[in-house]
Amino acid sequence: MINSLRYIISNQYIPYENLALEKYLLFSVKEDECILYLWQNKNTVVIGKNQNAFKECKVEDLKRDNGYLVRRLSGGGAVYHDLGNLNFTFLVRQENYNLEKQLEVILRAVRKLSINAEKSGRNDITIDGKKFSGNAFFSSNGFNYHHGTLLVNVNMNDLSKYLNVSSDKLKSKGVASVKSRVTNLTSYNPGITVDELKIKLIEAFKEVYKSDPHKISYEKIDVSKIKEFKDEFSSQDFIFGKKIKSEYELAKRFSWGDIQIQVNLSGGFIKDILIYSDAMNEHLIEQVQCVLKGCFFGSCDLCNRLNEIRVEDEISKQMLCDINRLICENLE
Amino acid sequence: MSILNDRMYTKSHEWVQFLEDNKARIGLTDYAQDSLGGLVFVNLPEEGDDVTKEVSFGDVESVKAVSDIFSPVSGTVCAINEELMDSPERINDDPYGVWLIEVKNISEKTELLSADEYEKYLKEEA
Repeated sequence: MINSLRYIISNQYIPYENLALEKYLLFSVKEDECILYLWQNKNTVVIGKNQNAFKECKVEDLKRDNGYLVRRLSGGGAVYHDLGNLNFTFLVRQENYNLEKQLEVILRAVRKLSINAEKSGRNDITIDGKKFSGNAFFSSNGFNYHHGTLLVNVNMNDLSKYLNVSSDKLKSKGVASVKSRVTNLTSYNPGITVDELKIKLIEAFKEVYKSDPHKISYEKIDVSKIKEFKDEFSSQDFIFGKKIKSEYELAKRFSWGDIQIQVNLSGGFIKDILIYSDAMNEHLIEQVQCVLKGCFFGSCDLCNRLNEIRVEDEISKQMLCDINRLICENLE
Repeated sequence: MSILNDRMYTKSHEWVQFLEDNKARIGLTDYAQDSLGGLVFVNLPEEGDDVTKEVSFGDVESVKAVSDIFSPVSGTVCAINEELMDSPERINDDPYGVWLIEVKNISEKTELLSADEYEKYLKEEA
């Protein structure tokens, strides 16, 4: 039974901080309440709990543009967030979980903005058959959350800018993303803003659950817990998924011979590397193998390591240059 | 919903089957797989990792959600069911035949339910 409603709107745009607050709220939700949490991330790729970061995201490009990469606790596919997107989270105990009702809040808020959104399928809400919201779910020991995106006026060109559509070179056992037809809410009502939607969501929350929502004050939040969760979400091991193993294979034929590089990744770093080549310069191949082991799997880091190798003869220089290019071509 | 007599159960819907040499196998109950729906990924610890009773040791992702899995015992993981990496849906097909991890050197157990008690618990929850 839900007798009490609380809500909170995040006061910053850093994804690690936002997800930390979400996790904190999850484990602080009481038996008789529902919390609505509204938040935004700037320039962020969010991947699902069991996805491979490299497979889904153009990690190097995102890093170069000072974007954030974050892994959420819920399942599903990769999405890009900018400030034209508003995220919502409903946090409840298992017995109070009611997807229908939660989606009703979203639908009602959107309809308040004169946009005729409707439910489609089990957990999608659409306008004219196009998605403006992607939803995902997490449960742990009776604590549940349902969160989702709301595309208000995101830059549509950026949505897929950092996402890999398909990568055959990477063999990973993660969950794959599915591409959807999406639309902004502003395509249906050009005047609306994220701030306006926030207000409508709180209103709809009140109407659907028939109770007055109380604002959660930041002073009551345990900052040490937030710090602990933030460190977890921003750790390389969590972002790149230490437990999500993947194999990557690069191969090409050059004037000096064939080369095939196979790597096993763990947590974003090269755990094992094997290089097969029929090149005459076996020693150099061994050196390459040696310097790349343990390296972060990004083209800048890999090329920096390659540059540590000192060679004198022209063929070796050519080989290093080619390997360098092979890596850059494949990882960017 | 099937419940077998040859093992014990937790309130968070894991089953545990004690083996010789202070070892146990852990899996998900029929009720768990049914409420989770079609599984698409199983995130398990590695051999040699320690697990602690009532603490999450991994998660399962279904078409609906990601759900943490809790350990009924404290001990050290001595085997993981590798076949689940490629075919997590095996849990939906045969929840009691398919185990997730095997734990050795068990030092502690959570409060466990017998098959009858688990059946009663499910009825109360419904």
